[in-house]
Amino acid sequence: MRFEFEIDGRRLIAESEWIRGQLWIYLDGKTFIHASETELKSRASKKSGAPGLARDLMAPMPGKVTKIIGKPGDPVKKGTAVVVLEAMKMEYTLKSEGEGHIEALHCQVGEQVVLGKLLVKIKPKS
Amino acid sequence: MNIRRLAIANRGEVAVRIILACQELGIETVLLHSDVDSGTKAYRMADKRVCIGPAATASSYLNISANVQGALAGGVDALHPGFGFLSENPDFAEAVEKAGIAFVGPSAAAMRKLGDKVSCKELANKLRLPLVPGYQGEFQDVAALIAAAEQIGYPVIVKAAAGGGGRGMKILRSREEAKELIESAQREALSAFGSAKVFLEKYLERAKHIEFQIFGDATGRVVHLYDRECSVQRRHQKIIEEAISPSLTPELRRKMGEVACLLAESAGYQGAGTVEFLLQDEEFFLLEVNTRLQVEHPVTELVMGVDLVKAQILTTAKKASLFERSGMVPRGHAIECRIYAENPYEGGIPSTGKLGRVYFPEGPGRRFEVGFEAGDEITPFYDPMIAKAIVWDETRTRAIQKMLRVLSDAIILGVHTNIPLLREILMHADFVSGEMTTRFMEQHFSEALPQPELLAWEKEMVEQIYRKTPKSEKATGGASANPAENPFMATWRTS
Repeated sequence: MRFEFEIDGRRLIAESEWIRGQLWIYLDGKTFIHASETELKSRASKKSGAPGLARDLMAPMPGKVTKIIGKPGDPVKKGTAVVVLEAMKMEYTLKSEGEGHIEALHCQVGEQVVLGKLLVKIKPKS
Repeated sequence: MNIRRLAIANRGEVAVRIILACQELGIETVLLHSDVDSGTKAYRMADKRVCIGPAATASSYLNISANVQGALAGGVDALHPGFGFLSENPDFAEAVEKAGIAFVGPSAAAMRKLGDKVSCKELANKLRLPLVPGYQGEFQDVAALIAAAEQIGYPVIVKAAAGGGGRGMKILRSREEAKELIESAQREALSAFGSAKVFLEKYLERAKHIEFQIFGDATGRVVHLYDRECSVQRRHQKIIEEAISPSLTPELRRKMGEVACLLAESAGYQGAGTVEFLLQDEEFFLLEVNTRLQVEHPVTELVMGVDLVKAQILTTAKKASLFERSGMVPRGHAIECRIYAENPYEGGIPSTGKLGRVYFPEGPGRRFEVGFEAGDEITPFYDPMIAKAIVWDETRTRAIQKMLRVLSDAIILGVHTNIPLLREILMHADFVSGEMTTRFMEQHFSEALPQPELLAWEKEMVEQIYRKTPKSEKATGGASANPAENPFMATWRTS
């Protein structure tokens, strides 16, 4: 949907569109996703959650699993590389956010994964 | 020969570019595509389409026999490989010719001579052309390597002979640290690649990437169509290119152009190609030759007033005596920005999904090479480049101004793009002054861009937009309904 605003006599163009459940907005040279109220809430709770705690690794983008470093039971620390994903000819390394151990692997090398798929279950150190 | 029908062994914006040239020349096109690429602009534009395999490039765009079979099924007289994929593969060129189809590009022999780094260096050595000084010998004991490093002159980079990707690389800056660093590079090379063998090369830390567009016509004559500068690159991937380079004196330009033509002529080069150089402190070194059309060919087309894709096709048809050596002078300045589907606020993580609204602001001296339109899916299987914006203006300063405005007005919804990063680069003092080197990105943009905060009045507008945009358009959501914020710790491999 197209919008026209006027700010101090200057005409601004905006365009908006719901795509895959998100509101995309172009506003005067900036493009961004509108953060809905639920999103803002979940972000806030994420931030207030214990920082540096290990958590499950999920695919931050669709791609192919090219490498799994470690097996169930292996200890991880903050920054330990666990899974390598490849998409669009680029490599992306998923690292643990905190201390704990690998509980289970939910992906295999060579597997094509979708965005948000659980790849590795990590049990945080209690 | 007469070319009536031509196959395109490529995808995206370059496939569209080739189709447009063919349409104007009255040639039918056959697009050789993978099964996931039916939602692309080239697919909709081609006269015929042949599916050559599944998404994975190894079974489709990189599969020689699938492409040849597809071209034969399409009944074509010629095949254009575009760039990337099989475009520089001499075995492919040979297989195409063997099938009785004309390959749009140099001969397989010329490709082998110039495209292969080792044989290209040998040829350049024979012609006494300037190469980056280095040592690639058999003597691997530390004393011999130090002696070689001294002869080259510090700083010197040590590279694993069997490797790549940064591992086993060390930079030697003085004799004092040379021994320790060479030994450490040998250890790393051994553990990473199974061989302790290393190469030495002069380390150019203030180098600019300059390249010359060359063209060999059917008579064996090679001309150059001046130069481009592509110093703005990340992970060896170019981001912004321009023609002509702001860094060359007329004298350097003349010399480098001569070297480029001499090298190509001595390899019997035919068609479009690019000779790449590194330039540091007014000294230039041959880097490599790309035996194909280049992604950034439009900037040359705009300043030289030529159509390189048509010239390639006409040369293959042996119909053209091209570009006269005299009288070709560049006019004005052209800049190209590659628009990648990636999120600059998260260090360039690829962004995939269906495109929503797509709009490019047309105008004088503006050109857009587009491979995907609204409704098309950007998939994770291929290169993240979704479009190129190219501008021409009378001076470099005005071209930068024009590009900034174009990028500000362009609208792409549905995937994140590097447009905000491109704008920051265009406004950076080192780019504006023309002083950028190949380390520009690493020095100034190694971190993710900070997400801009919305101003108070912008927030107000966003709330209005949120309330008024009809939710009926709201799609099903699903796995990709992810917050813009990325909850994962991740790092890009840096080389």
